Amino acid sequence: MKKVKITIEGMHCSSCASNVEKSLKKVPGVREATVSLMTRKGFVECEDKVTNEEIKKAVARAGYKATAIE
Amino acid sequence: MNKHKEMNMSEHENHDEHHHDTPIEDKEIADWKKKLIWSWIFTIPIAVVMLFDRFFGINLLEFSGETGMIVILLVLAFPVVFIFGFSTIKAGIRGLFTFYFNMDSLIALGTVIAYLTGIFAVFGSIDDYSGVAAMIMAFFTTGKYVEALARGRAGKEIRKLLELGAKKAMVLRGKKEIEIPIEEVKVGDIIIIKPGEKIPTDGVVVKGESAVDESMVTGESLPVEKKKASSVIGATINQDGILYVKATKIGKDTFLAHIIELVEEAQGTKVPIQKLADKITSIFVPAILILAILTFIAWIYFTNDLSRSIAVSVAVLVIACPCALGLATPTALMVGSGMGAKSGILIRKGEAIQTMKEVKIIVFDKTGTITKGKPEVADTYAKTDKKYFLETAASLEKLSEHPLSRAVVEHAKLKKYKAVKGFKILRGRGVEGIIGTKKVIIGNTLLMNENKVDLKNFREKIKEFENRAYTTIIVSENKKAIGIIGIADAIKDDSMYTIKKLNEQNYKTIMITGDNERTAKAIAKQVGIKEVIANVLPEDKSKKVEELQKKGMVAFIGDGINDAPALKQSNVGIAMGTGTDIAIEAGDIVLAKGSLQGTVQAINLSKATFRKIKQNLFWAFAYNVIAIPLAVSGLLHPVVAEIAMALSSITVVTNANLLRRAKIDK
Repeated sequence: MKKVKITIEGMHCSSCASNVEKSLKKVPGVREATVSLMTRKGFVECEDKVTNEEIKKAVARAGYKATAIE
Repeated sequence: MNKHKEMNMSEHENHDEHHHDTPIEDKEIADWKKKLIWSWIFTIPIAVVMLFDRFFGINLLEFSGETGMIVILLVLAFPVVFIFGFSTIKAGIRGLFTFYFNMDSLIALGTVIAYLTGIFAVFGSIDDYSGVAAMIMAFFTTGKYVEALARGRAGKEIRKLLELGAKKAMVLRGKKEIEIPIEEVKVGDIIIIKPGEKIPTDGVVVKGESAVDESMVTGESLPVEKKKASSVIGATINQDGILYVKATKIGKDTFLAHIIELVEEAQGTKVPIQKLADKITSIFVPAILILAILTFIAWIYFTNDLSRSIAVSVAVLVIACPCALGLATPTALMVGSGMGAKSGILIRKGEAIQTMKEVKIIVFDKTGTITKGKPEVADTYAKTDKKYFLETAASLEKLSEHPLSRAVVEHAKLKKYKAVKGFKILRGRGVEGIIGTKKVIIGNTLLMNENKVDLKNFREKIKEFENRAYTTIIVSENKKAIGIIGIADAIKDDSMYTIKKLNEQNYKTIMITGDNERTAKAIAKQVGIKEVIANVLPEDKSKKVEELQKKGMVAFIGDGINDAPALKQSNVGIAMGTGTDIAIEAGDIVLAKGSLQGTVQAINLSKATFRKIKQNLFWAFAYNVIAIPLAVSGLLHPVVAEIAMALSSITVVTNANLLRRAKIDK
């Protein structure tokens, strides 16, 4: 299990944030995902096998850009 | 990660001073502003034409003929909708295809449909709404701009926290003092801090004396005296002396970095009351899409007026606003936690804000919470040679790390310790071991009774010590008591004030401690607590909390070091920070400055924030419940609908900002 913090660009409404959350939760291995519109940060709790690429893709799928993953 | 860093570096190379503070917020605000200005340059002429036409029946574009007028409007509206509104249209249309619907989907659909009526109007008999499309987009952009501004204001305190860290440090390399960027400071570096300068990172003073202003990090308003061996916190300000500090923590490990992370993470947590709003938000957009279609069908069926039906449906699309609902909680939480962070109150879990309101019972741990947690021997009483008695006690206690043991060792100040065999720690009760041929047991009355130690000759004295609020430990040799030690732990300056305030607010205040009943009661009496739970082993504290929970919601306040389970068990766990160590994982709320007064502030802040959240949710729900039916019934012009929508989310964010007016100190 690991915890990943992502910075997301382009969200400007709350349905954006919930879309990113939904998309992140669909990634296999992701247990929990919360996205804050206010801080533009997302916190993902996932299994170690989940790669940053997958997370980035999930954010992109909802239509936004992950600018930093740590 | 590394790649990102590089990218950031090159991005910021040209304006180094902004290295840390060109936040996305400012970029976004500037972006919306640009779009807003351009949109209105094209929209104002449209608005003028439309207003004259609608209210005065004057066609300013009469010279161009009917088709010509439509074409002019189409040309003017095009850049507003499709160029300045490009990102909205793109995101919205994309959302429609990928089924990740969002706010943009509604606006995109509304404006594109309105614009298309203009094109059809050139060829057929339908009213031209292309001007309306431009106005909707312009108002939408304006609303977003104002909202972004207000949102930026909501995060003001937190942003300040991010910018708090020092950028440079003066370090000693060999004999030379050189200035280096903060990123290059290593653990173990000696940093020189002159009066008035910011302490660059966490460390320990190795030379010098000074007062340090720590208010920006811990909320403690009085300067803190620092001398050799004191720890200092990065980002605090050295006031009057030169300090030589050895860096102990850098970068992500510093106190400030932890606080920032904690606050950021808290923004991602949910307040339970928000659940319904979140659920609605997630199905809101598709629901409105369906509603708009149904509205269109119903209008066309009953009126047979295509233009009117389109206008009404567009109004429905643009009036609906999931934003107000979605922003209600996070903005208030953000302002609240920002205010907290400023006073050293760190809200870790949004849930605590809601639960706090229900709390009836507040349980305080004694040591380190009500008292300073720095026990000192206050008095001793021995029936043998006093020196021999202290030697025996200190030699055994030397082997334990318990604060009480340390107090004994410090008091005795021995040069040489006696050899101890078979040393054992009896958790929560005392210690035992063999010195020479004698079995020595040191601990509380409970332990003495367990071991059938003879306490006569001491009973009266023990009682006296306990009534003086001393934690009393008994030293026994071969099952016979030889002396007792009274240890006092001074009460924190603000404990009395805090508990008085809480009692006034009708909270049931309880103190929990491992001390015996009499000592505990003596301390409780001094600070004004009426109920004590004494003789509790550390591991049983959470059980006691559980028992209390049968009577009502319980907040537990402790230092988080050995009461972590109790903090977790309680409904709201408030962890007290001590110095640079904060028990981050333990509490729902963390008080960075180790004073009890933060409790009152934390409670007031939670309540005020929760009230704001409720107000916001009420407005957001009320807005949608009233506005949507009005739009469906065709009472609102699409442009008016858009203005209402923009105002609704601005109202919510502005209201959240008003939270700052709440007084949390009393």
